[in-house]
Amino acid sequence: MSILLSLFLKLSAFSLIAFGGVNALLPSLLNLSVYQEHWIDLQTFADYFAIAQAAPGPNFMTVTLIGWHVYGALGAVIATIAIAWPSSILVYHLQRLILGMRDAHKKKSIQYAAAALAIGLVLSSAWQIALQINHSYAAYGLTLFTIGITVFTRWHPLYLIGLGAILGALGLI
Amino acid sequence: MKTLTPAELFISFSKIGMSGFGGVLPWARRTLVERDKVLSSEEFSAILGICQIVPGPNIVNLAVCVGSRFAGAKGALAAVLGLTLGPICIVMLLAILYTHYSYLDSVQGVLRGISAVGVGLIASTGIKMLRDEFRFPAMLLVVLVTVIAASYYQLGLGWVVLIASPLAWILAQKKARKI
Repeated sequence: MSILLSLFLKLSAFSLIAFGGVNALLPSLLNLSVYQEHWIDLQTFADYFAIAQAAPGPNFMTVTLIGWHVYGALGAVIATIAIAWPSSILVYHLQRLILGMRDAHKKKSIQYAAAALAIGLVLSSAWQIALQINHSYAAYGLTLFTIGITVFTRWHPLYLIGLGAILGALGLI
Repeated sequence: MKTLTPAELFISFSKIGMSGFGGVLPWARRTLVERDKVLSSEEFSAILGICQIVPGPNIVNLAVCVGSRFAGAKGALAAVLGLTLGPICIVMLLAILYTHYSYLDSVQGVLRGISAVGVGLIASTGIKMLRDEFRFPAMLLVVLVTVIAASYYQLGLGWVVLIASPLAWILAQKKARKI
């Protein structure tokens, strides 16, 4: 039971600092679940990350899968609730305040500050996660290829995920 | 203004949750603005802006905002449940398959390939967002500080936010005055 409690409390705390969404949170999540709490090993973390990417649905599913790994279906539900409830309550109360804010300058400032913070966190998240889960030059090559395609073309991400799956199945990554 | 009951919100957000790969925000826009026309494009952008300011999973924040706007707290709950229930079932199913077949070399290969792409997708989200910052290049300093604190010094997320936000706030006020 104590493992469920610590899963709930630690992920709840993350919810309130996850600026830039769950993607920005991934390195901290990895650090917590692999190196601090030993809920999961690095390989399984990387695999769950991949499964969450490949499945339809929100990208916070990596968190759900870690919960699953720790305590089955109950763990999955608890982890999902934990990552969502504090921020949900916050946004529930903040939305009317911010939408109704008369001071346009202040409103813009909040937006710009949060955006810059989010960009930095998302970029460093990608960088740190790449260092942990890419094990070959080919994997880095595929990551760079994905960045190039997504930034410069309008390909659907699903094609890239499919391409990654095929290359991986062929043993090239 | 159009009204939506909690049940309708549940169904709309179920559809949103079950579609889309590598994040569902674009699908939320397609469903709410283009197909069901419950929000105008401007309203959607304003709400999305708030959801990205507030920490936490952006899409859950969006479900809370849209749900509560149409049907109060019940609506928020219905939207979040709709968004999450289906995908949770799917990933648990995949997790079961994973425990049975993860020993296969080909399965491991597939997952390695997908995670390399996944990292690229996250990075490109950041890079696309970065484009807007060039309108006020000083703001890039905040991005730089964040990246150095998080990646080079490997500080925890809370510390990074704490260190970078004063600078972010000062520059953001300058940017708001200028643009």
